Amino acid sequence: MTFGDPFFGYSWLDAIIRVVIVVLVMTVFVMYWTYGERKLVARMQMRLGPMRTGPYGLLQAIADSLKLIAKEDIRPAAADRWVFEFAPYLTFIPVLMVLAVLPFAQDWGVRNLSMGLFYVFAVLGLNIVGIMMAGLGSGNKFALLGGVRAAGQMVSYEIPLVMSLLSVAMIAGTLDLDAIAAMQHYRPFILLQPLAFLIFFTAMLSELHRAPFDIPVAESEISGGYFVEYSGIRWSMFQLTEYASMIAWSVFGSVIFLGGWEYPKGGDWGWGWQLTLTLIKSVVWIAAIIWVRTTVPRLRIDQLMAFCWKVLLPLALVQLLMNGFILVYDWPQELLFVTSGLGAALLVGIIIARAIRRPKKTSGLVGTYRQVQGTPV
Amino acid sequence: MATEVLWWIFAAAIVGTSAGVVFSRSVIHSAIFLILSLGGVGAMYVFLTVEFLALVQFLIYGGAVTVLILLALMLTRVDASGKPERVNGTQAPWALIVGGVLGALLVIVALKTTWPGNLSDKPAQIDLNLISQRLFVDFGAPFVIASVLLLVALVGAIILARQEDGD
Repeated sequence: MTFGDPFFGYSWLDAIIRVVIVVLVMTVFVMYWTYGERKLVARMQMRLGPMRTGPYGLLQAIADSLKLIAKEDIRPAAADRWVFEFAPYLTFIPVLMVLAVLPFAQDWGVRNLSMGLFYVFAVLGLNIVGIMMAGLGSGNKFALLGGVRAAGQMVSYEIPLVMSLLSVAMIAGTLDLDAIAAMQHYRPFILLQPLAFLIFFTAMLSELHRAPFDIPVAESEISGGYFVEYSGIRWSMFQLTEYASMIAWSVFGSVIFLGGWEYPKGGDWGWGWQLTLTLIKSVVWIAAIIWVRTTVPRLRIDQLMAFCWKVLLPLALVQLLMNGFILVYDWPQELLFVTSGLGAALLVGIIIARAIRRPKKTSGLVGTYRQVQGTPV
Repeated sequence: MATEVLWWIFAAAIVGTSAGVVFSRSVIHSAIFLILSLGGVGAMYVFLTVEFLALVQFLIYGGAVTVLILLALMLTRVDASGKPERVNGTQAPWALIVGGVLGALLVIVALKTTWPGNLSDKPAQIDLNLISQRLFVDFGAPFVIASVLLLVALVGAIILARQEDGD
């Protein structure tokens, strides 16, 4: 039983049924994950979270979705009609396309591609088009600002993201996601490439617009960013996209770095254990995203860009170069761990040093802070 | 059979969206049509079974180039609500000449070329290892020179965009 064999009769029928299964499971998961996130954040902030709807607020997700569907769908008079209305769907299509290639268990996804890794980041890059359409078409200055911020941020962070994935692909020697997962039978790739993992995780947070990189959707600065004008079903399409891409990224990341369905013992214990492994790893991954969200305050846009271009990108390049030397000259694999581990320690060191350093002077800071100081601009 | 039907659907979509790029009166709509058109070309590469080229098309043209066009529009337009642009009439004759000559050239080339008849239905699978062997080993020097060109362009852009305190 491999990917190519149609499990449900005809090949096209098989593809459609698999897509429907994946999308349905994903939608239910997203619905309940919004509840899970609120509960988790509440616990981290010593609150209770939703408690009123059903026992422990368990019906909250259903109530929320019913409310969103019933809500009036408003289109602002200044909006560019077709651009405004199609934007939510255009953001969702790339995520849907990515879900089609993720291996959830051995030989079980919708389809396996020989260039799955490349496909994932090529297609997820298209996500930005819908976001920019929402920013442009809303006829709202805040939406436009959110779109500009999202575009700059996503285009910049795509580069270290791709670099970190390439360094893993160099070790694996293939772009086939199923094969990459199967290769991690004895050790997950995070042990060989801790630096690439850190870079991937950071850049992924930025691609997802999660805190501390939620500059494009910052409520307190630009009142919600690119989807400020959306309501009802279209707004919930944006939310669905955000959470679905969170799931897609976390399944993808756990396949690349944490061993996916294979590590530990996935190949030996059958598909039930493999599905459980995928589920556990992606839930832990998403919980880590939310943990970061509740812990770290939002960055400023210049800090964000400087961190990408001056810290993440050089480290990713060094990682790529070191991998090249070690792999070409067939040096032992432990060296990969040593070099990448040193790099990871350096990255963590840079972040900590930046966090605890006091600014020496205030005159160099940008924006409102300078005006508050009263110095001439 | 199904592939042929899909091919015609995508071909019609590419032609339609390309016409949209030219005929829509708002630059933003043109840019969005351009994204759809380039995406359709990427889908055409899938039909030719060169998946690598298709993905590169999506990544570079769909995800990067057109996004930069949209970003430039966002940063420069005051009014981004998709209202029709005023057409600059003095350029119209030149546009007609250039477009007509280009279209005539394309038609002539398409008619003069002797197209191969029915090829076997299954084109050769192009191996990714072969592409990388060609790109990084056989043609390594042109590849490096092209990247140096990009680096120079990048440095130049930074110098142009950088504002010194004295300026």
